[in-house]
Amino acid sequence: MITNLKISNVTKIYPGCVANDNVSLEFNSGKIYALLGENGAGKSTLVKILSGVIIPDEGEIYLNKNNLKLNSPSDAKKNDIGMVFQHFNLFETLSVFENLIIDSDEQRESLREKIDSIMKKYNFSIDLDIPVLNLSAGQKQKVEIIRCLIRSPKVLIMDEPTSVLTEQETSELFLSLKKFSEEGILIIYITHKLKEVMQLCDEVAVMRRGKLVSVSEIKNENIESLANKMVGQNLKTIKKKKAKTSSDQLIKITNLSFTSEDPFETNLMDINFSVNRGECLGIAGISGNGQSELFQVLSGEIISEKNSIEFNKNYIGDLNPQERREYLMAFSPEDRLEQAAIPQMKIFENVALNNFKSSNFFNKGLINENKIKEHSKKIISDFNVNTDNIDLKSQFLSGGNLQKLIIGRELITSPDLLICFNPTWGLDVGAINYIHETLIKINEQNKSIILISTDTDELLKLSDKISVIHKGKLSKIMNADEVTSEKLGILMGGAN
Amino acid sequence: MIIDINFIGLIIASIMASAVPLILASCGELITERSGVLNLGVEGMMIIGAISGFALMTVTGSLIIAIFGAMLAGVLISTIFAFLTQTLITNHVATGLALTIFGIGISAMIGKNFVGIPGKEFPVLFDGFKDTIPLLGPILFGHSIVFYFAFALPFITSYFLKKTKIGLIVRAVGDSPESASNQGINVRLVRYACILYGGAMSGLAGAYLSMIYTPQWIENMTGGRGWIALALVVFSTWNPIKILIGAMIFGGLTIIQFHMQAIGVRIPVQFLTALPYIVTIIVLVVISRDSRKIRLSTPSSLGKSFYKDN
Repeated sequence: MITNLKISNVTKIYPGCVANDNVSLEFNSGKIYALLGENGAGKSTLVKILSGVIIPDEGEIYLNKNNLKLNSPSDAKKNDIGMVFQHFNLFETLSVFENLIIDSDEQRESLREKIDSIMKKYNFSIDLDIPVLNLSAGQKQKVEIIRCLIRSPKVLIMDEPTSVLTEQETSELFLSLKKFSEEGILIIYITHKLKEVMQLCDEVAVMRRGKLVSVSEIKNENIESLANKMVGQNLKTIKKKKAKTSSDQLIKITNLSFTSEDPFETNLMDINFSVNRGECLGIAGISGNGQSELFQVLSGEIISEKNSIEFNKNYIGDLNPQERREYLMAFSPEDRLEQAAIPQMKIFENVALNNFKSSNFFNKGLINENKIKEHSKKIISDFNVNTDNIDLKSQFLSGGNLQKLIIGRELITSPDLLICFNPTWGLDVGAINYIHETLIKINEQNKSIILISTDTDELLKLSDKISVIHKGKLSKIMNADEVTSEKLGILMGGAN
Repeated sequence: MIIDINFIGLIIASIMASAVPLILASCGELITERSGVLNLGVEGMMIIGAISGFALMTVTGSLIIAIFGAMLAGVLISTIFAFLTQTLITNHVATGLALTIFGIGISAMIGKNFVGIPGKEFPVLFDGFKDTIPLLGPILFGHSIVFYFAFALPFITSYFLKKTKIGLIVRAVGDSPESASNQGINVRLVRYACILYGGAMSGLAGAYLSMIYTPQWIENMTGGRGWIALALVVFSTWNPIKILIGAMIFGGLTIIQFHMQAIGVRIPVQFLTALPYIVTIIVLVVISRDSRKIRLSTPSSLGKSFYKDN
């Protein structure tokens, strides 16, 4: 039997923002549907309405012609709608099995059998009796999927499922989703990644600022056409010019190792590399292979031996981030709201945190507010941060604007080296483009970049040289034009 | 010096008796904290239970009404806490402290008329078997029903948390209220229930003090046991069985204190009173060295308010 899901004239209004503006859509099982849009386009709101987390102000939802009243997540479950959220809804300290049994009415033994048969069928292998916090992101997602499958859903909604997955995990996920679809489950796939839509889906609905802008078949679309629909303007494609090879070495890392006491951290083993002026070194890898430790060692959050890092002919391995900044290094950490900025503080206060001796933000221990505000305004206008209120708390900036602010804060002092870690993670196309342009520009100004990223496309686009980190070890450094994403994939998996 | 073996049995029994209110209040607070709520009002709820139990016993003459009345009083006062922290989303720590101050104050006010009134004798079970077995006799027999309940409670609590569906839901809510809510669990309801249960157990602990342990009403008679119960929960790393061990150690310190004074050993009383807290801090330092263990045993959302966005 074919499952038909119909969304009819759904509207959801938040103070100051129309999240869904009279959206109507129809889905039939047997196809995989993409719901595409930038961050804030309203696609998450729409699927939260479908899963009962949010109640719409107006509009109806029909499943096989039955009008559904979804007032809570359990209503959605009862009506065979399963949802895998972008942020996992798992209980980290409970075991996998406890996570699965919690919303099931079945007996322990029969549920265990059912889970085993699901895992066998789809080739999942997860230890059911270990706490969820020991699992990788890909495994956690599988637990979420199993949780849906236990209820044999008619509809399975996946909200940005690949944002935490590696390439390999992504292709495994796609295989599973295709299999589910063949078995008659209606799949709705929410994403802002165009490549995935082209790879996986049959039909695509594009949303922009709460409105549905188009519904079309994938075969009539390509990446450019979808990108333009999504952003609502013609995006210029940016390309990096071939860098002039400079031999002026800026930073040199020699025999750098780091051993952590925390079993959840990765040890770094014998890292050696150097970056010349005007060069971008990309460091690829599956997340959790030592990237965050490497970033911390490079930024000075973790202090190492003095001689292991030579920057601009100074040995700086034992300096803290503040002291390294004085030598004209700049840092953009992975977690924008935890590491790079303090969410509850105002924009200008966050700017002041990046304090230099030369910046005169403080005068005899007092805050020189005018100076900081002036400086913040310059960052906002120079780096296209979409707000004019520097008194706004940073948590209210969108991811893209916050990242622009952070990069701007780091770059406005024109550092010699910028070290960034997943700078475009979770951003929409427009913001990604802007960040990429900015990074290319600083290379052109003969400044250097170390780009640690899990996004292979980004690395291939921006880097002059690429290395892969696997279990805390760096591969040999390759010229970017000799590398393909397949080759990176193999190295990321640990092969030589 | 020959020590009578039954004398040792009596000392152990008295240690156990002093552990009873600690076990009751800690096991209640443990459930509350496992659901992610930090209720620092244990001392206040205990003293309310103590005065309510004693007052009801004096007024009605019924021990059963008094015991259940004390539990109900604990429930009522914890309802205030639940309403403030769960419905009005106030800060757990500030609200809990206020509850304790409120409880001590109001119990003193109600208790004015009950000072100096002698309590009633509380019936004990299996009294006749006391002398049948040396050493074990005084330990096992001749105690109140509340005593036996208290020593069963850690095991019941452990079974409840590990083996039952509702126990699993309580742990899930404490781990991640957001996920639980998205799973269709009514987080507020679960937390309300856990807070009220904690209140009932604190009330019972208080009633044990004023009706069984020292059957009389004295102002401020809980004397910091509520705080020790709170420390015990942390000491136990949220494990009910370890509460039993901790309560015996902490209860033992109180008893040893008396005996040492009797023998004439000079250790400042203040040091012995402070010992439970010092031990708790040492335990905290020891477990915090193992980040994995602390992650697994501490309820992740402890003390954090949960807002449901809609």
